[in-house]
Amino acid sequence: MLAKNSQTDDTENDIEKMQEKLQEIKDQEGIIGYILRGPKSASIDLKDPTKIIDYAVLSSTAFDAGQNMTEALQMGEVDTILVESEETKLLSMNINNHRLSIFMEKSVDHNKLYKNLK
Amino acid sequence: MNRDPYAIALNSALTEIKRAYPDIKNSFIFTKSGTIITGDQETDETTMNNILESFENLKEKAKAIGNLKGFRITGKNGKLTLSNIKDMYLLLATSKNADKSHIYSITHVIIPTILKTLETFAPTHLQVTPPKKLVVDTLNRFFAGDSVQIDTEVLRDLTKNSDPRARVKAALTGEQNTQESINQVHIETFGGNVAVCKVKEISDQKLKGKNMIRIPEKLCKSLEINKGDLVKVKPAL
Repeated sequence: MLAKNSQTDDTENDIEKMQEKLQEIKDQEGIIGYILRGPKSASIDLKDPTKIIDYAVLSSTAFDAGQNMTEALQMGEVDTILVESEETKLLSMNINNHRLSIFMEKSVDHNKLYKNLK
Repeated sequence: MNRDPYAIALNSALTEIKRAYPDIKNSFIFTKSGTIITGDQETDETTMNNILESFENLKEKAKAIGNLKGFRITGKNGKLTLSNIKDMYLLLATSKNADKSHIYSITHVIIPTILKTLETFAPTHLQVTPPKKLVVDTLNRFFAGDSVQIDTEVLRDLTKNSDPRARVKAALTGEQNTQESINQVHIETFGGNVAVCKVKEISDQKLKGKNMIRIPEKLCKSLEINKGDLVKVKPAL
């Protein structure tokens, strides 16, 4: 029981740390915002609140597409997903049982963000 | 899958690329409208269709950030790269440690060059009038006749000429790239049943703009389809 509690505390600490990092990331140049979805809660921080629904749907669809495609091609569990349009991109990943999607301008180095968060 | 010379040439190209880069596990090419042109021999059609379906869904939702230009997944055992090349998409599934510069040269140099070369030399470039996926509605009126009914917009799309010479002519003259209106369509069900029949515009105003094909009940039975099913429709040549 003690071990289980300690594990839960570790995960909660990890999530807190991640949220702190996300607060720093969202102020960086070119970052449009993020969506973090856990099993029980979600936090969304987007510069343009009118896009919340569209971005949430896109984030969820990206995870679904990623899972379907990796299953079809037997590529194992999804690590990261990158969706690129002409000017914007979306980086999605699973961290500690949470689904994180960061929206950014194309010029942002998404590899740097990934390394910072993992 | 398409068996015209263009598709066969692309298939050979994919096979050779795979030989040269053993890190590539799967590869296939499809058009922006969702028609598979060709794929490597290891990737079966069901797998390609599953991936295509997921991708089409993602492409639709990705409009929230603009037109989709590329898509990458890093999995525990491999990477998937989907690149937009001209009016097509190339999917490459590679091992996790595949050289990024190799993938880049395939997606940005080799395949675009092959496509450009094929367009220059192949006189029968891509006889793919991409089939439209339409939702079936049954026509069960007594005077339904033998014709199917399709939306005006969809019919107009289907008449767009796929002949490259006509495309070039249209680009040079600024004329509309359309062929004569079509009288017959080729219908294919996902179960593989096929029919060619006369086509008319949808007459019922309420049913316009719903990406629908109205098929007489009798024909639905012979095609083994029901209301709400999807069918692939293209002009009958």
